[in-house]
Amino acid sequence: MSASPIARQATNSQAIPTRRVHITDPSQMPDVYSSTPGGTIYSTTPGGTRIVYERSFLMSLSQSPNSRTPPKCPLPAAMLKDPAGPVPHLNTTNKPRSNSISFDESQETFSMDL
Amino acid sequence: MACCLEPAKIEEKIKNNTQSKVKILPEPVSVIKHPLQYSWSLWIYVNDKSKTWEENLIELTTFDTVEDFWCLYHHIKLPTELRQGNDYAVFKKGVRPMWEDDANKMGGRWLINIDRKQRSANLNKYWLDIILLMIGENFENSEAICGAVVNIRGKFDKIGVWTGHTYTKPVVEIGKTLKEVLGIQTKFGFEVHRDTMSKQGSTSKFLYIV
Repeated sequence: MSASPIARQATNSQAIPTRRVHITDPSQMPDVYSSTPGGTIYSTTPGGTRIVYERSFLMSLSQSPNSRTPPKCPLPAAMLKDPAGPVPHLNTTNKPRSNSISFDESQETFSMDL
Repeated sequence: MACCLEPAKIEEKIKNNTQSKVKILPEPVSVIKHPLQYSWSLWIYVNDKSKTWEENLIELTTFDTVEDFWCLYHHIKLPTELRQGNDYAVFKKGVRPMWEDDANKMGGRWLINIDRKQRSANLNKYWLDIILLMIGENFENSEAICGAVVNIRGKFDKIGVWTGHTYTKPVVEIGKTLKEVLGIQTKFGFEVHRDTMSKQGSTSKFLYIV
């Protein structure tokens, strides 16, 4: 956290109470933008309030009309997907993964190219 | 003039006005975009041999809402569709994806190597999950995050999550969160940029391993 030392001292002894509200569908969002799911919370955290979105909520917005419009900025054609191709359907579930990472001490030969 | 109208007509007029207003107002959900904590820039590195490294690194655009991120994501190529030698980078706006940037020079990166054989299964998924972790502020120590880079290479693809400093507690938290959220079973390490810069082909030393 980016709390100042003073803010840290003030809050050292107590945990910040939190509550998680699980959203599965955009329709469960409050209709007023100033409200939060599960009721309006007026609170702040040391160092300021952060705008936090969990993965499932971000994924639920991925197919909204606003999320499907073309980007406003011009992008090089080489970066764009085939325009005829369909927008790929995103897999919204977290599947268990196989053991897939290679840990190789010799990898530093590649490190200079960023 | 309104004062000359009969009360019934005034009521009708008000009703019509209200109706037409209701009709033209779009659904709030479709207009409101969800703001992000930070503005983020998307960079691409193209491997044009006739240009310098810095000239090949291009800042394409900036986004600061969830919806603007998805617009971009849906329309640009996935990491697996990029050419070998290319990179994507997503960094906090104002931070260049290079060691020399003031925000990076005291920091380092968590480095995840992805074997070519695992590319199709995991590269795009890891990359998206890391971006969502960053822009959704899901690292407890998210202020330490500078950005992330994906390198498309021959033998191993690499994803680096860059931090602005190397303090143990926040940096290790970021590594552990990555490992848990991505579901990585094997160990991976954190490199200090200054060590990587001065490295002379010797064995890489990781400051932390998760």
